Amino acid sequence: MDDDKKLTSKDFLNQLVAKHYEGALQAKAEGKPVVWATSICPQELLETMDLATVYPENHAAAIGARKGALEFIENAEGKGYSSDNCSYARVNLGYADIQKAEAQDIPMPDLLFCCSNICNTVIKWYENLSKTLQIPLILFDMPFNHTYEVPEHSIRYMRGQIEYAIGQLEDFTKRKFDYDKFGEVMELSNATCEWWKKATDWAKVIPSPLNGFDMFNYMAMIVCMRGNADGHRLFKMWHDELEAKAKAGLGPWNSAEEQYRVMWDGIACWPHLSTTFKALKKYGINMVTSTYPDSWNVRYEKNDLSGMAKAYASNYANRNLDYDEDNVVRLVKDFSLDGIVYHSNRSCKLMDFRQYEIQRRVEAATGIPSVVFDGDQTDPRAFSEAQYETRIQALVEMMEENKEARRKG
Amino acid sequence: MYLGIDIGSTSTKAALIDGKANLVAQKVVNIGTGTNGLELVLAELLHEAGLTMEDVVYTVATGYGRLLCDIADKQITEISCHAKGVSYLVNGTGTIIDIGGQDSKVIRLDPLGRVANFAMNEKCAAGTGRFLEVMGRVLGCKLDELSDLAGASTREIQISSVCTVFAESEVISQLSMGTRREDVAKGALVSIAKRVAGLCKRVGVEPKVVMTGGVALNKNMVEAMSRELKEDVQAAPYTQAVGAIGAALFAMEAAEKKENNNG
Amino acid sequence: MMSNAVSIIQELEAIALSPYKSVMRTMKETGKEAIGCFPIYAPEELIYAAGMLPVGMWGGDTELKLADRYLQTFCCSIMRSNIEYSMKGAYDMLKAVIIPTFCDTLKCICENWKVSAPRIPVIPMVYPQNRRIDAGFVYMTEELERVRGALEEISEKPITDAMLEDAFAVYEAYRSAMREFVSVAAEHPEMINARSRHLIIKAAYFSDKKAYTDKINKLTEALKKESVKPFPGIKVVATGLIAEPPALLDIFAKNNVAIAADDLAQESRQFRTLSRSDGNVIQRLAWRIVDQQGCTFLYEVEKTRGQMLIEQVRKTGSKGVVVFMMKFCDPEEFDYPIYKEELERAGIPVLYLETEQQMDSFAQIETRVQSFAEMLA
Repeated sequence: MDDDKKLTSKDFLNQLVAKHYEGALQAKAEGKPVVWATSICPQELLETMDLATVYPENHAAAIGARKGALEFIENAEGKGYSSDNCSYARVNLGYADIQKAEAQDIPMPDLLFCCSNICNTVIKWYENLSKTLQIPLILFDMPFNHTYEVPEHSIRYMRGQIEYAIGQLEDFTKRKFDYDKFGEVMELSNATCEWWKKATDWAKVIPSPLNGFDMFNYMAMIVCMRGNADGHRLFKMWHDELEAKAKAGLGPWNSAEEQYRVMWDGIACWPHLSTTFKALKKYGINMVTSTYPDSWNVRYEKNDLSGMAKAYASNYANRNLDYDEDNVVRLVKDFSLDGIVYHSNRSCKLMDFRQYEIQRRVEAATGIPSVVFDGDQTDPRAFSEAQYETRIQALVEMMEENKEARRKG
Repeated sequence: MYLGIDIGSTSTKAALIDGKANLVAQKVVNIGTGTNGLELVLAELLHEAGLTMEDVVYTVATGYGRLLCDIADKQITEISCHAKGVSYLVNGTGTIIDIGGQDSKVIRLDPLGRVANFAMNEKCAAGTGRFLEVMGRVLGCKLDELSDLAGASTREIQISSVCTVFAESEVISQLSMGTRREDVAKGALVSIAKRVAGLCKRVGVEPKVVMTGGVALNKNMVEAMSRELKEDVQAAPYTQAVGAIGAALFAMEAAEKKENNNG
Repeated sequence: MMSNAVSIIQELEAIALSPYKSVMRTMKETGKEAIGCFPIYAPEELIYAAGMLPVGMWGGDTELKLADRYLQTFCCSIMRSNIEYSMKGAYDMLKAVIIPTFCDTLKCICENWKVSAPRIPVIPMVYPQNRRIDAGFVYMTEELERVRGALEEISEKPITDAMLEDAFAVYEAYRSAMREFVSVAAEHPEMINARSRHLIIKAAYFSDKKAYTDKINKLTEALKKESVKPFPGIKVVATGLIAEPPALLDIFAKNNVAIAADDLAQESRQFRTLSRSDGNVIQRLAWRIVDQQGCTFLYEVEKTRGQMLIEQVRKTGSKGVVVFMMKFCDPEEFDYPIYKEELERAGIPVLYLETEQQMDSFAQIETRVQSFAEMLA
């Protein structure tokens, strides 16, 4: 049993990451089935069936962060995939062929578990995996919410798919679905999400005890460990640390003071993590929030399948402009933001093609400045350090002007 | 005599083949379509061969400007003409890589030297001679100097292979940080090679792999291409005139066919 | 007989070449209000039943300046053009538009439209991807009912079941006529070249379906009376989103490359699937979505597109497949490596063309098409 007093959440996080991947590789070695799933999927079903699961998006991000993505991207492009296609997909489809990565290996799947609340691209990506690898696919199609709220008939459709999926899982595993366990997993998942939300909420404090780029690391675990005890423990641990730091008035870094608070819109540029982070820290810019904490705050009443369906359909990417605007404006206020950095991620059209309008509306509503820069989540070629640095510097100048104006009153 | 003309965007080439399919002469001038390049190259070609246009029985035009060439009896694309020309010059050619001024092409041949499949680059400077021009400008050297520079490289530098504009800004960044011009030059060649290798994979690579076009005169470029493909790559003889030679061969075939039909 | 066919061809080509004028004229002739239909599929029967004119919105060749306010440059040209047109006022004659969210780009376009063209109300629509399970079928019918309700509000009168049946019959006649036309046209490439074929099919988007079907039937009859001559050129099967702009197809005609059959979203995918006869009209429309196969935009784990293309090639005696890859169309780009490999294994040559609606330089296309023709000769 780990000595909690000495174990930090960072240590535990690292342990869990290793355990997660090793566990899956071990399961495969023992002839047990492995699932590949999308990042905000109804993992409750998989946990209930005790199916070893890995998340290609996490894996691609890890490969990207360790600067290994190009090999897989070039493999996929050699097969005819366009550089226009999502780079997570290109990395993963390349990996499905090469099946070895210096950054981290994952076992090949026996089952695919795809939820389109994050985008429709995953449907095409997983469809291709299913065809290429000749394995079954369980699909949760979550209709885009063009109305402010999630409509009732969409909830019925999604609930119907969850029920259908349970049947598919029973067929696949040749085991009965344990509804009691399901209820427990639901409870645990909700509790873990609550800790995730509470932990990331500590960043509202000035200065924030949370270094935003660190949040990206923990995010990997909220993807894959909502429904298990380790995940629950991790996020409570992390929450408690942040609470303690906040109460002690400690900021995000030991070596610098937090000068500016920003939201980072979009996912990280994994191959350029260090560069993008350093350029911000240089000016004392801390990323205190993003739209991700809310997207993984999947909460519903235990045993309420409809509630679960609705919760999964409610993430930022699956909502209309009015909702997204309100969401970001609320973040500006709650997190006392000085500015916003919009990552125009070449791989993510669902986020990008609303960015300009969101940028305008948020500025009109809050008056805070923002910049847009070109990057990509895993393709190292689609980023220009010079452009990024210039834009960040411009943002600093704008934020500083605002501060000056406020000081003068 | 059979005449082949290749009217490109930045250069015009011409070649003469005799009735026994011997290469009599070939010429390259570095001005392209929309100029007097055609006049010039024909004048030089005929002068060297000691002939006049009256000795020419049949003419085939190829290249970007082929559709506007009114002295041609027929026009055939540079894909077919390159395939023809390279098969003639290099026995056992399986794949042809042509990096031109404005575009790049990969052509895979069947065992009889005919086009089995081909791919061309997508409307983008990266992976073409244009990219090297931009690199040359930043490094303050001419294209052939770029190759020599690259030869003296001692360190590998990564330069973007999908966007010339990004690559340019990367290179400027590198130079300002003190990276040696030699290493940047090498990085530029590797960048093109990567881009073109991507095109090759779409079509499939069969040895022998032969490079054509002005860029192939660049020994270090050929080497970089070879390393990316993990295959032996050689430059075709008369690298720039290959298309014109193929066109001339087509001219010979067309003329003979016409004669057989008439006779 | 021949001149009858020629005059119909010319008429339909003219309609397709001037969408704006054609729509205005059709509105005037029929006295109907127009409802714009974004790609890929629209429940045109519901619009027709409401006594309104469904109009296709497949973008166009317009300079892109205003759309940059909402969209980065790596957005597909159809959507950018549609937003551009909406901002320029080119769509002001429309009473409303239906925007289905088949892809991530369409989701954003739906949202941006609310701001870029606020005076033209949008009826968003979600087609279920999980269409083959009961919950999916039910959802499809519920979406169709919701759109029916929205159209009733706009037309200010109810859409009765009888009106639905009438509209369905009109569209069944249209779809059946189109299936016959493409089959007969494949036998007469000398009369219906690549460009004509596309324009004839496209004209449907700006016409009253009943009148249009009548013209198509007459054209098909006239073609059937012509003898089938041996074709000196090359027949191909076209696949992709759209085969545009028309200048591209001129290059095909010039090189004697004929399109014997197509798997294009804008063309045969609209009418190739047979309708079922059971259930009410709403259910029959839903069944058609369930039954559609080999379409990029409808989830299909078997991915039968490659096999369908192979069959089309064999059935029409074609020499190869031409891929019209519209730049930045993610779903199409995902399908390509899969069917490419299947076609290669079947020994079928493939020509890949990257296209945009705003193409003004065709030299590369000229080379590619001509080289392909030379390769297959």
